[in-house]
Amino acid sequence: MSPPKVELHEIQATVLRLRPAPYYGSHVLFRVDDAKAGHEFLRRLAPHVDSAANWWKPADAWISVAISYAGFKALGLPAESLQSFPEAFRVGMAARARELRDEGVNDPKNWEPLFGNGEAHIGLNAFSDSMEKWQRIVEMAREQLRDLHGVRVLAVQDFGMQPGDRNSLGYKDGIDQPAMEGVGVDPLPGQGNPIKAGEFILGYPGETGVPLPMPQPDILGRNGTYVGFRKYQSRVGAFNRFLHANGKTEDEREFVAAKLVGRWRSGAPLTLAPDADDPALGADPHRNNDFNYAGDTHGRRAPFGCHIRRMNPRDTQLTRLTDVNIHRLIRRGTTYGKPYDPNELSEDADNVERGAIFLFISAKAMATMEFLQQEWIDEGNFIGLGEERDPIIGRQEEGAYFTIPKEPVRRRVHGIETFNVLRGGEYFFMPSLSALRWLGEFQM
Amino acid sequence: MTTQEQIQVEEKLRKVQELYADAPEIGRVALKKGVEEGLARELAAAMQRESAGRIGARQGKVSELTAIIPLEPGGGKRIRGLLDLLGGNFKGADIVGTLHDMRFVLLENDTKLLFCTAYDGEWDTYIDDFATKIPTSMDILFCNCAGWPGISSPKIKDWIVSHQLTADAWYVASPNLTVAETKRLEKIGAAVDEFLDKIG
Repeated sequence: MSPPKVELHEIQATVLRLRPAPYYGSHVLFRVDDAKAGHEFLRRLAPHVDSAANWWKPADAWISVAISYAGFKALGLPAESLQSFPEAFRVGMAARARELRDEGVNDPKNWEPLFGNGEAHIGLNAFSDSMEKWQRIVEMAREQLRDLHGVRVLAVQDFGMQPGDRNSLGYKDGIDQPAMEGVGVDPLPGQGNPIKAGEFILGYPGETGVPLPMPQPDILGRNGTYVGFRKYQSRVGAFNRFLHANGKTEDEREFVAAKLVGRWRSGAPLTLAPDADDPALGADPHRNNDFNYAGDTHGRRAPFGCHIRRMNPRDTQLTRLTDVNIHRLIRRGTTYGKPYDPNELSEDADNVERGAIFLFISAKAMATMEFLQQEWIDEGNFIGLGEERDPIIGRQEEGAYFTIPKEPVRRRVHGIETFNVLRGGEYFFMPSLSALRWLGEFQM
Repeated sequence: MTTQEQIQVEEKLRKVQELYADAPEIGRVALKKGVEEGLARELAAAMQRESAGRIGARQGKVSELTAIIPLEPGGGKRIRGLLDLLGGNFKGADIVGTLHDMRFVLLENDTKLLFCTAYDGEWDTYIDDFATKIPTSMDILFCNCAGWPGISSPKIKDWIVSHQLTADAWYVASPNLTVAETKRLEKIGAAVDEFLDKIG
């Protein structure tokens, strides 16, 4: 039986369309003070939101629109509709801090005041391949607010690729995305068997064969998906100090940096390039993800605890019964702030405004993020590493270390710190284009 | 012990004596002896209760799940038959990797099932994995429970919670040892012995 065709013309482009390279963009957060104005704003925005039809073709500039639970309340959605959203979405990301292990330095009480208080109602995201088109499309979006009292901009966060296609810790990122069934494109080499569309988009069967419950009414939920928005600040000084403490030469430091992630900074995977970087491999989308761990069962190439092996263990033997396919997220990572500099070692460098904002997209984004935070990020048990945590996005306790398997005995590098600190986050629902129009025409 | 802790322990002692004021003779005598033998130390060492998520108790990395579930008509006969055929052998559960133990007790003329298990972490985290990896085993066993919605049903978590009882007290000897960690230590122990045998 062939999988159901996904209604691409109904789904917002950002769900499937890849980030351009280079990329420029903004995240804009709005507050709805007046429900009618909120409807009108969505009605005006809807025609400007791209669908995912032909998502594999490069596009020059597009926006996506998503709404938080507080936003749906502010828009006056009826109670039975509000109640049809999953609990974690209703209470919001901050209230799920325990389940998300957002504790200590990542505790919501330490977040930027913008987040976690029910203020962010609508999240608009703009992506573009050029600075000029990016500015034009953001201006277009803001133009829709003209003469509209009752919706206001809370914050604008610009982002963009850093020199050489790198993120805030100096790595090429965003390489490994889950492949999905029924979306009209064959998986890239190494992406694995396509995952059922219902894991990522509401209204289709998931990996269990059953569709996930949708928010009601049907027009609101179908072809929509959830977005976990998380803003991290990178502590570049701490990261560089750690590398210097564990590597006397640049080569030694780059080796440790590669071991932490499982890829060289160029994106070349350690599984395919274990001893030295291979920038041409890193740059080639048909080769840079084309591997599994069958030949690396001891983690001597890619350590078990490295970031990419945690986030997608592929065929790694895990200690717990796990279906790797049901814990994946589509990631739209966006880097903001000052570019990475390997020579910045000061504590001041930790406080510079720079880092990454992620959109984590899935039909059950809340449950998946909680799973990942509990099991694959702030834990090591699933992969036989006890309490070791993800060295890149984990929240580290005093005395944290990272294990590098090698012959004859493993090496442990000490002094791992929380290199990326959570500055805030929200859950949004990214409705279909029909749902956006329905919300725009909504009569209270 | 700080003065405040001292006061708390004395308060606990007073409460336990109050509770036992109308206990059978044997209990009152035992309590008196217990106080003399240092019951205060035991009370002072009492730990904070931890929750295993939505429901259930937790100690360190280990959680408990206790449920009393009414069975479908004929369900008791099927479960008893199935457990007999398995000879009490649940080796297949090894695959789950987090179960320390499981106990099945049929109650009240096989009309109810008492199910108890100690496991690592929080159970609902991996329910979806059960649904895609071992749905058949789960449904064969638990279809005998009244109202079992099926392991793949979105209602499964609520169904389990509706039958679950949180243990009032629970003891775990090694609260920080997960099943994975225990297996790893077993392997290391064996390797060390092998090494010592070789050099000894």
